Amino acid sequence: MKFLCVPCDTPMKLQTVGPPDRGSLSVVYSCPECGYEMAMLTNAYETQVVQSLGVRIGPENSVAASSPSGSGCPFTAMVPGIESGDARAGQPGEPVRWTAAAEARLANIPEFVRPMARTGIERFAKENGTVEIDEKVLDAAREFFGM
Amino acid sequence: MKTYYDIVGDGGSRVLDQVIEQRARITDGLAGVRQLVAVGSGKGGVGKSTLTLQLANVLRCRGLRVAILDADFNGPSQARMAGVQGAVFVPGNRKVSLPRTGSGIGVFSMGSVIPESEALDFESAARGESHTWRATREFTLLTEILGSFEWGELDFLLFDLPPGAERTVQYADFLPPRTSFLLVTIPSEVARGVVARSVAALSTRSNRVLGYVENMSGYFCRDCNAIKPLFPATQSTELRIRCLGTVPFDPELALLCDRGIPLTEHPETPIGRALDDVAQQLLNSLESESPQ
Repeated sequence: MKFLCVPCDTPMKLQTVGPPDRGSLSVVYSCPECGYEMAMLTNAYETQVVQSLGVRIGPENSVAASSPSGSGCPFTAMVPGIESGDARAGQPGEPVRWTAAAEARLANIPEFVRPMARTGIERFAKENGTVEIDEKVLDAAREFFGM
Repeated sequence: MKTYYDIVGDGGSRVLDQVIEQRARITDGLAGVRQLVAVGSGKGGVGKSTLTLQLANVLRCRGLRVAILDADFNGPSQARMAGVQGAVFVPGNRKVSLPRTGSGIGVFSMGSVIPESEALDFESAARGESHTWRATREFTLLTEILGSFEWGELDFLLFDLPPGAERTVQYADFLPPRTSFLLVTIPSEVARGVVARSVAALSTRSNRVLGYVENMSGYFCRDCNAIKPLFPATQSTELRIRCLGTVPFDPELALLCDRGIPLTEHPETPIGRALDDVAQQLLNSLESESPQ
């Protein structure tokens, strides 16, 4: 979809995309010639259809809705005991720490397997008597699980 | 006044560019895979998943590097059958390491992600209208899986497709054009009729159809050590593609699959030999230059 400022006959520029509200997005465009601004308030159903393509709607530096609810894992609601994104395994005893480098590797993988990966690696670390997960632990897990 | 086609680009989100980038990630991720083979049918319940896994086992026993992508997201069975239900996903440097069976077959199955007591679902503000977006969302999930897991250097990546003749052709459209198709049927006219529709649908695409395998072609009776018929011997529906072999049903195999034990531990059975023959025919077919 494209927007044209009729008085200026100039393509309007995408400015901002508001956070999703019940599946609807508020997308603001402005005319670079006259500065006129308008907002497209999207229909939740049409928005869902476009977002099903796995694309970001909004400018490239926008953090707005790449998932319909604005939350992370699309399966969060269905995997017992897992919270979105930074879920913790919730195991008793000393909490497991992740180094920045290990966290960065975790952040590289798809959101829908991230909570499970975190849980599995933390369990592996505890079973091996470590409470800090760094890249060496990840490589050891990879070796251990025959990957 | 300017029209849509006078304006370069889109409304600012670069939606088409993003989709093209996704496809490029798939091509990049599969660059090291020599053969992409989609195992489909159109008909459900003919043993696509069992045959996919057992073929993978036979190919692996021949020293080939094999992985399976269980593309049946709504009814995944490879995780249980391959024994990777409790697999741990380990982040690599850029991608996720692929869970592996004891024999080294890489397996991705939603059955490793979602417990069998749950159904695959997606968060959505348009939940009551899922018929309008769900298939697209599932293919986006497939895109993410293909682009995010370490497929590495493989001789074979086998796709275990979901049922549905229309789904089979959707995968032909989605997967790289070099993907070959292997269809599975059983000796029933109903099943052959549905598979014939898949053959017809695939004939409108450029993908190579290697042939079909007739699964449950009789059953192996261990008491009399013989293959006995399961279905009446009529084959009036012509499939017009090459038959790569017949595989008998073996109740023992069903048990092994449920327990995640590979049949290759029992190679000297009629079904083991039949699968080995099918694997050989598959290799011959892929090595031949001319498409079917």
